[in-house]
Amino acid sequence: MSAVVAVPSVRSGVTIRRADRRLGVLMLAPAVVYITLLVALPFLLALFLSLTNSSAGSLDFSFVGLRNFRSVVANPLFQRSLRNTFVFTFVSQLAVIVMGNVLARALMKTFRGKAIARFLILMPWAAPISLATLGWLWIFDSTFSVINWVLKVAGWLGPRDWYYWLGDTTLAMVAIITIHVWRMLPFSTIILLAGLTSIPNEVREAAAIDGAGTLSRIFRVELPMMRPILTVAVLFGVVFTFTDMSVVYLLTRGGPFNSTHVLASLAFQEGVLGGDVGRGASVAIFLVPVLLVLAIVMLRSARTAEVV
Amino acid sequence: MDTRRQFIVKGGKLVAAGVAATAAGPTILVRDARAAGQLKILQWAHFVPAYDKWFDPWAKEWGAKKGIDVTVDHVGFADVVPRATAEVAAQSGHDIHMFLGLASAFEEHVIDLGDVVGNLEKKYGKQVELAHRSTYNPFTKKQFALSDMWVPDPGNYHRDVWNKIGKPNGPVTYEDLVWAAPEVKKVAPQMQIPIGIGLSQDIDSNMAVRNILWCHGGSIQDKEGNVVLNSPETLRALEYTKKLYSVGMTQAVLSWNAASNNQAFNAQETSYILNSISAYRTAQDNKLPVIEHYYFTPALKGPTGIQLASEHVMSGYVVWKFSKNQDVAKEFLTALVDASRESMLASKLYNFPSFYGAAADPGTALAKKNEAGAAWIAAQCNKDPFGSTPPDKLALLARSLPWSTNLGYPGFANPAEGEIFDTYVLTDMFAKAATGALSPKDAMTEASNRTKEIFNKWRQKKMVPGGGKDK
Repeated sequence: MSAVVAVPSVRSGVTIRRADRRLGVLMLAPAVVYITLLVALPFLLALFLSLTNSSAGSLDFSFVGLRNFRSVVANPLFQRSLRNTFVFTFVSQLAVIVMGNVLARALMKTFRGKAIARFLILMPWAAPISLATLGWLWIFDSTFSVINWVLKVAGWLGPRDWYYWLGDTTLAMVAIITIHVWRMLPFSTIILLAGLTSIPNEVREAAAIDGAGTLSRIFRVELPMMRPILTVAVLFGVVFTFTDMSVVYLLTRGGPFNSTHVLASLAFQEGVLGGDVGRGASVAIFLVPVLLVLAIVMLRSARTAEVV
Repeated sequence: MDTRRQFIVKGGKLVAAGVAATAAGPTILVRDARAAGQLKILQWAHFVPAYDKWFDPWAKEWGAKKGIDVTVDHVGFADVVPRATAEVAAQSGHDIHMFLGLASAFEEHVIDLGDVVGNLEKKYGKQVELAHRSTYNPFTKKQFALSDMWVPDPGNYHRDVWNKIGKPNGPVTYEDLVWAAPEVKKVAPQMQIPIGIGLSQDIDSNMAVRNILWCHGGSIQDKEGNVVLNSPETLRALEYTKKLYSVGMTQAVLSWNAASNNQAFNAQETSYILNSISAYRTAQDNKLPVIEHYYFTPALKGPTGIQLASEHVMSGYVVWKFSKNQDVAKEFLTALVDASRESMLASKLYNFPSFYGAAADPGTALAKKNEAGAAWIAAQCNKDPFGSTPPDKLALLARSLPWSTNLGYPGFANPAEGEIFDTYVLTDMFAKAATGALSPKDAMTEASNRTKEIFNKWRQKKMVPGGGKDK
């Protein structure tokens, strides 16, 4: 009696690969549908609207070419908002990365109350921004600022001295950046903590044996090894900050005298509140090329660093 | 039993079905909401919360009598325009949308309410002129909205402080504020902001700077819709504001939101604000110490005697073209005007009827209705049923109509005026001039250029007149 041995045929192998491919497509489909419907289509629509004279109260529009772009670029308010966007992003991301590193290193240590500290650090990430900003609104209120009252009691401010946090152009930007840093810090801390814990202890020990001090260990060993994850944290933070309008809108509504607008809040003011959808869209998509280049550069940089 | 692969494939089909259902969902829901016998209304959360407690059950009850299910949704005043934008884009949503101030930008998407206004005027007499000028576009000849109420915008002053500086009845002219500021500092040094007129990006400041502009003889447009902001009168208004800011205000006023001047006055941190009576009612409800010093003045006079103030709030109800319940919506709006007395009382005298005749005693002859309505309104203000001491504290409100006007004065409200209002072109100009961020002349030039750009855009859409005599 001869034994029959089942040998997988070439044909069945192909079938399995096809089935796998189908399954892969199926599993990717929800993400593709989501991105197409909620990201790609609105983006293309915004691009289209920026070339029209569309307004909020109308479904009719005419093609106006680059007129909206020419008009907004010549507008001093746009120029200021563009500058604010870069200042807002650069300063807040620098603060977030530096402070996130400090916090992540602290959380790597073992200490009493670490669980509570971790909970408190994560709180701002979980709090709804509208609710949190209302709290901050009171903290920075120009008439009733709790910071000022504390500074008065502490003797820092004299009887006629007062900080107008939201009424002074510089202090208002400081307030906006402070809230954004407070809000972004937990995410950055967690990402950086993950990066730090992924570095094998042997590497640190080897560096210590080779005589590296704390600073040179951080800057010459740990930070280069964390580059991919640091890049992701910075990229996410930059894109999120560049496109965020919630803090500005809830805290200052772009004031005083439209001096704290970022591009996203200006786009909302012009396009939705003012009803000039075409102009608002042209402001909103102005940074797309910048963000695109930034994302490509940073992702390439992260990919090359992965071999470390 | 399914294998894992079969399970995943089935799951995938379910997800696909879910996506399809989600995509179709709004259509199904909207169709359902538009079924006969339904009416959906979107309006603001009133500054006097007692009003909403009256309005919502009243609307429901009105619907119940007619077999109509009425739904009322409230949004904050800042969300009224964004919600309208979203509903127009989706071509679905509520049947009736209430605007505060200017609904004119949405004219193309609302039905003409000329027949409703015509019938109401036959029933009650003419509506107040500022309501007409806020809801009718003479250029397109369309009654795009219906106003059931408007709100006066008097000055609120701290009588104790003003008494100490020798003006127990408060300021009469804008120059009085400049004179009073240093005096207030002397008698009430604890007050942070002697004169509290907002110069920020909010609704109250938007009204306040228009008041200053108009009373100095300036305006954004003339009667024909030509842009005339670039004028010696505007310059005079800006120079005045710069002077007032330097002697009587602080940077706080540059950051105020709609509640800030109320809070500052109620905390006795300022001696004068421009506001409706909502701050006063809050002080009353909370029994704040300021209440005994809380008094009102009419609009202030400018250097040539012009005395004007913008309405503080002006309702503008529109019925969307996409509404399937337009006739019911019209009936509802008529009923709302019919209930003008209840509305005024429910808002604790915050709302003033746009049809004075609707507040007249039933049975009054048409020719006498406006007069009789005005008398009823005066009776309420002269003896405030909500516990003012003295009872006639609000009496001047009954005489506020002659010094109250519409956004867009001396012309009609229009979409260009609306965009200028909503993008803070004027508050920006005043704040820059006041703080020295720009010279008054440069601030005026910058604002005038932007204003002309906005007007020209709307003129191209054939919704705004003028242009031949722009300055």
